[in-house]
Amino acid sequence: MTAGAPYVCPYCRTATAGNAPTCTACGAPVDVSLKATPSGWIELPPARDMAHIQCGHSSVQLAGPMVPVAEFTLAPGDGVYFPHHELLWKEPGVTVTQRGLKGAWKRMLAGLPVHMLDAVGPGRIAFSRDAAGETLAIPLHPGRSVDVREHVFMVATHPIAYDWITHEVWFQTGTGDERETHHPIGQLLDRFSAPAGPGLLLVHAHGNAFVRELAPGEHLYVKPSAFLYKDTSVHIWLHFSLPHASNVTRWTAWAERYMWVGLKGPGRVAIQSAYGHVHDPGGRITGGKHTVHQW
Amino acid sequence: MNPYQRIVCRWCNAQNTNATSCALCGAPLDGRNLVTESGWREAPRLRDMTTIHFRQSTCQVEGEIVPVVELGLAQGDAVYFEHHCMLWKTDTIPLSVMNLQGPKRSFFRMPHIVTIASGPGRVAFSRDATGEIVVLPLHPQMEIDVREHAFLLASIDVSYSYVRIKGLANILHGGNGMWLDRFVTGQTQGLLVLHGYGNVFERTLAPGESIQVEPGSMLYKDASVTLEAEGIKLSSGFFGGTTMYLARLTGPGRVGIQSMYHHHESGE
Repeated sequence: MTAGAPYVCPYCRTATAGNAPTCTACGAPVDVSLKATPSGWIELPPARDMAHIQCGHSSVQLAGPMVPVAEFTLAPGDGVYFPHHELLWKEPGVTVTQRGLKGAWKRMLAGLPVHMLDAVGPGRIAFSRDAAGETLAIPLHPGRSVDVREHVFMVATHPIAYDWITHEVWFQTGTGDERETHHPIGQLLDRFSAPAGPGLLLVHAHGNAFVRELAPGEHLYVKPSAFLYKDTSVHIWLHFSLPHASNVTRWTAWAERYMWVGLKGPGRVAIQSAYGHVHDPGGRITGGKHTVHQW
Repeated sequence: MNPYQRIVCRWCNAQNTNATSCALCGAPLDGRNLVTESGWREAPRLRDMTTIHFRQSTCQVEGEIVPVVELGLAQGDAVYFEHHCMLWKTDTIPLSVMNLQGPKRSFFRMPHIVTIASGPGRVAFSRDATGEIVVLPLHPQMEIDVREHAFLLASIDVSYSYVRIKGLANILHGGNGMWLDRFVTGQTQGLLVLHGYGNVFERTLAPGESIQVEPGSMLYKDASVTLEAEGIKLSSGFFGGTTMYLARLTGPGRVGIQSMYHHHESGE
């Protein structure tokens, strides 16, 4: 590549000179031939071992190809926040304190971490998630925000604001005292935004991660537990498809339905290839917004 | 080379970038000695089918996701291991046991019988988890402590004992359980093979230098490195909060950590 030529990272869209082996914003290899599936999914090029990402005066290095470690070198005054169980090691000089979170009670009921910790430099601190997969670096430019599924957030730098939102991916079964609410992607979505300055968000994908850009109005269905994150402009909803069955067996096949998360552009969506099974309890759906397609 | 990649000099321990010889001492640099900026060295990623020799026997590491260690044991050579780590063996390998004060270890859910396989023949081992094989040749007069259930096998000339972790806080919150396995060599060299969950990193702490690690991530340490649990108070505004524990490791000596760990409080 010509030195100084403009280069737009296909993953994080950051424009750089392109003369480094990895994107300086997200760590993705610069000079790679992208593997795009015929349907348009782009396999996220995993950050090279020891990839170095600069974020302000601080930096982060991604090490380890199987269960990667994100090692931050924090400049004086720079900081990151993280759920407490993501911490792998730290230098004794790095100060760790509790970060105030609004709605702790609601978060606890939703099964989200109640303790969010703050670490402030100078010094080094490292994070890893207890699972095989990829660490995704998502640089957020001012004004940009993303919605991330529960329990994949690893760490974010201080310029990034953290909030959570409710969504429409839920349904109810049963009636009266037997009524039960189900949340295939969890009760809440984490929302990260960069209101003033740029920041860096790290999330963990189980297995491999794939991203694609949805055009306005374009939509697709993904397995609920494979959903990873999306631009806030992407609409998300719950969809059921019912397989074709003969008239004789249709009424007995009511539980043979496929549950999907619908995603409608414009915007970027990402999925992970290793996902847990989301159990559909079956039974008549008695509440919640969703779409149905009967084959 | 990536300007941010650092090679540590094996002679003087200085970190170098973009160089073929050490800037401080001039010693030639080995490109395989990559370290992170803080000095952690990745365990050498053993090539598939790598063969290692010990005594008259061979040890071959196969597979890269859940690796298998296959031994070709010569007549008179032997290894010991936790029985559930054995993957397969040939008919010619006799098995015996090393008794280790069974009831005491059983009480703390440690295997109280360690199995011995003797040559000649072939025998293979693996742990049921994604990770890396760490091969530690132990030189004479070395002592190394390993977290519970991380050791895969050791050659018979390495003596095996276990040390109780001292201090109630260390036992309850140290993340390493009640015991550390201790491997000691006498006058001869031995071989110790560990399985680390996820990726394994190692660094050497100077005398008095310390680092705080997630307790479940500690994999091994030189016996000279001390281990102590430390609590950080967290308050959520209700229910009185909780305490997060970290393990402080203080040098001198080597420490190894694994990036996929069992979190001792959440059970994740």
